[in-house]
Amino acid sequence: MTEAPGLTTQHQATTRLTQLKRGQRGIVVEASLDASDAALLRAMGLCAAAKVRLCRAGEPCIVAVDCGCGGQCRIGLARPLAERIMVRVDN
Amino acid sequence: MDGPSDRSSVAGVRGTPQVITNGEAGAAHPGRMRRIALLGNPNTGKTTLFNRLTGLRHKTSNFPGTTLEARLGRVDLATARPTRALGGSDACCGRDGEDGDGLESAPVGETELIDLPGVYSLELDQLEARVCRDVLVGVAAPRGDVVGVPDAACVVLDGTNLGRNLMMAGEVLRRRLPTVVAVNMIDLAHRRGFAISAEVLSERLGCEVVLISARTGEGLGELRRALGRARVSSRTPPGDDAGLRAWAEEVFATAASRPEGSGAEEITDRLDRAFTHPLLGVVLFAVVMTGLFWGLFAIAAYPMAWIEWVFTWLGSGVRAVVPEGPVQELLADGVVGGIGATVVFLPQICLLFLLISLLEDTGYLARAAFVMDRVLRPFGLPGHAFVPLLSSHACALPGIMACRAIPDRRQRLATILVAPFMTCSARLPVYVLLTSILFPKQPLLAALAFVGCYALGIVAGVLTALLARRTILRGKSRPMALELPTYKAPSLRTALVTTVDRGMVFLKNAGTNILMICIVLWWLSSYPKVGPPQEADALRGQVAAMKEGLTPLNAPIHWVPRTPGESRNARNEASAARQELELKWDEVSRVEAEIQRLETSQAARESFAGRIGRAIQPVFEPLGYDWQLTIGVVTSFAAREVFVSTMNVVLAGQDDPENETIRQGVMSATRDDGVTPVFTSATSWSLLVYYVLAMQCLPTLAVTAREAGGKRWALLQLGWMSGVAYVAALIVYQIAR
Repeated sequence: MTEAPGLTTQHQATTRLTQLKRGQRGIVVEASLDASDAALLRAMGLCAAAKVRLCRAGEPCIVAVDCGCGGQCRIGLARPLAERIMVRVDN
Repeated sequence: MDGPSDRSSVAGVRGTPQVITNGEAGAAHPGRMRRIALLGNPNTGKTTLFNRLTGLRHKTSNFPGTTLEARLGRVDLATARPTRALGGSDACCGRDGEDGDGLESAPVGETELIDLPGVYSLELDQLEARVCRDVLVGVAAPRGDVVGVPDAACVVLDGTNLGRNLMMAGEVLRRRLPTVVAVNMIDLAHRRGFAISAEVLSERLGCEVVLISARTGEGLGELRRALGRARVSSRTPPGDDAGLRAWAEEVFATAASRPEGSGAEEITDRLDRAFTHPLLGVVLFAVVMTGLFWGLFAIAAYPMAWIEWVFTWLGSGVRAVVPEGPVQELLADGVVGGIGATVVFLPQICLLFLLISLLEDTGYLARAAFVMDRVLRPFGLPGHAFVPLLSSHACALPGIMACRAIPDRRQRLATILVAPFMTCSARLPVYVLLTSILFPKQPLLAALAFVGCYALGIVAGVLTALLARRTILRGKSRPMALELPTYKAPSLRTALVTTVDRGMVFLKNAGTNILMICIVLWWLSSYPKVGPPQEADALRGQVAAMKEGLTPLNAPIHWVPRTPGESRNARNEASAARQELELKWDEVSRVEAEIQRLETSQAARESFAGRIGRAIQPVFEPLGYDWQLTIGVVTSFAAREVFVSTMNVVLAGQDDPENETIRQGVMSATRDDGVTPVFTSATSWSLLVYYVLAMQCLPTLAVTAREAGGKRWALLQLGWMSGVAYVAALIVYQIAR
C-alpha cells in the first residue's frame, strides 16, 4: 500500500471512516490506498478535505460526499477501502 | 450569481473562439462523416442523451481488443432550427420550439455520435479511461469504424453534481478539441434548488454550454445547434489534479449556487437504509426479482407462443411450396426450424432488458448490486453479477449479455464463464424425463431432485468462478466503490431503445452464427438417407396381409332384422363384429407404429450424428450410456432439450411429449440385448448430473465468444463444463450402479 497522493492533509485527531456513526459528518484527512484506488476515489469526489456524511454504517458503507462546490453524490464503499480512509470528525 | 433559469439556454463564448479546421463539417476527414465523441462521468444520463439524439439510428459494437461496448449513432444536425442571436455573433439562446430570427446556424448534415464509456476521469488507469483517451487522440474507434480524431466532443455533466463533473469538462477542454458542454438533468437540479447560469458557465469554460434534460427532451434542439458549430475553448484549465479541482470549485462558485439543504437527502437516506439493510434489503431484493422474473415468464409466454406458431406456419408453408426433397428439408427443418428454435427466446431477452433497464434507471439496481456484493465477493464475483446469474436461470443468452453491466473485466469474464451452469428453462424437459424415471409417482422426491439440480448448478457455478479468479483470471479486483445514483422516475424511451438494441444484437447473432450451426446439426442428424431395415420391410408385408379384406373402420355395418324378435340379436352380432374389426385395426396400427419406430431408429442410427454417437460410445461407456443414449447426448450438443425428442424418436419412434404411450416406451426401452433397460437408476442419475453441468447449448457458446471478446473463452467454457459434467456423471454412475 502506498499513501495516496492528493488524499492527505495535516494530521489531527482522526478516526477511520468506518468508525463514524450513522449520520455523523467528517472531513477526509488521509487515505492509505493503492494509487489506482485512490485516483478513482479522488475522481469520484472523495478527496482530501472532502466533507462526508456516513449514511449507512457496516459492510459496505454508504457515504454522502460533498466536495464543497455543489458536488453531492453517494458512494458505496467496501470495507477494505473505507477502513483506510481517515477522517476528522466535523461537528 | 444568476438565479435558476426556467428555460434552457445556450450561451455563446464572449471571448474570441478559435475555429480550427476539424471543427468544420467533414473538413478534416474526407471520406468519413463528421464525428462527435460523447463523454462524461457515469450516471450523468449520457446514454439517455445518446438515445434521444440518435433514436434507433445506431449500431452497437465494441472497441477492438476489449469487451467494452461501443455505440455509434447518427444525428442530423442539419435539422437544427435557426435561433435568436444573443450578444455576439456566437451567442444565442432560446427555448426548444422557439423560432427566432437569428438564422445563424448553418446546416452541417449527418454526424456520427460515439457514446464513450462513462469515466470519472480521463487520466485514470482503467480500461474505460484508456479507451476514451485513445478515441480522443484518434488511435481507436468502435470496431468497423474509421480511426480518426473526433471533430468535436460533447461533455455531459450532471446538473445536480456540477462541482465534480466540471473536472471532467476541464480535462476535455485541455485537449483542444471543439467542445460543447451539456448540463443534463437540469429539471432535477432546478427542483433541488440549484441555480446554474449557462451564460456565466459558458464564459468561464470558453465554449458553448447548453442546459438540457435528456429525459424530457428539454434543450435538445439547442444542443443540436451548438454541436453544429462547436469551437475549441478559449480557456486552458490547469493540468494538475489539485489545480483542476480548485479551478472547478471556482467555476462553480461563479456560475452556480447550491441549495442550503433539501428534504430529498433525508428521503434518499431512508430509501438507502431500507434497500441496503442486511435483512430488509435482501427481502426487498427477493421481492423485486421475483416480480421481475414472474413478469418475464408470465408475459413472455404469449409472444413466445406466437413466434412458435409463426415458425410452424412458415415450415408448413415451405413444405407446401417447395417440392419434396433435400431442398425442402433444408429450408423447412434446417433454416426455419433452426432459426425458430432460437428466435423463440427473443421475447424473454427483450422483456428482461426492458425491466432491467427500467430498474436501473430508477437507481435501485445499484443498491441491489450493493446488497449482493457481500454474498458474491468471497467467490470473486461482484454484486453486479447477481442479475446476470439470476437471468441465466431463464436462459443463459440474456444472462451473458447482461454481464455488460459489470465494470471489472476479470469479474465480467468470470460471470460469463459460469452463467451457463445455472439451470435454464431448456434443461427442464430433460429434468422432467429423468426425475419421472427415477421417482415415478413420487412427486415430492421428484421435486427435491429438481431443487437439487438447481442447487448443483449454482454450486458448480460459484466454485468455478472462485477457481477462475484464482487461476486464469487472477488479479486484484477493485474493492467496491460504487456511486449510488439519484433515485428518479425511469425513462421508458431509454428502456425501449436499450431493449431494441439488445434484441437486434441477439437477432443478428441468430441470423448468422446460430443459423449456420443449426443447418450443420440438422444435416448431421438427417443424412445420409438410408432405406428401411429388413425387419420393417417384413412387417410391411405383414400389414399388407392384415389389411387385405379388412373392412374399413368407417364403413357402415348393415343389419336388417328378419323378424321383430331378431332385432336385438342382430344388433348384438353387429356390435361384436364391430369390436372385432376395431381390434384388428388396432393391431394394424400397432404394427405400423413399430415400422415407424424401426425406420426412425434406423435413420437416427445411420445418420452422421448417429455414427458419431456410436463411434464415441466407448467414451460414454463408463458413464453407463449405450449407443442410443450417446446419440441423444450428441444430437443435443446444440440444444439440451433435443435430448428428449431424440430419445422419443430413437426409443419410441415418435416425438410427441404429450403422448403417455411414447413416454412409457422410452422408460421401458431396452438395450440391444433386449433385457437391460436403457434408463436404469444409475444411468438416469448420471444423465441428470451430466445435463445439469454440461455445456449443451451452441447459441450460448456463440454469445460467449461475442461478449467475452474471443472464441477462446467459448472453447474454455465448453471444455471446462463438459469436463466437469463428465467427471461428475462418471462418479455418480460408479457409485449408483
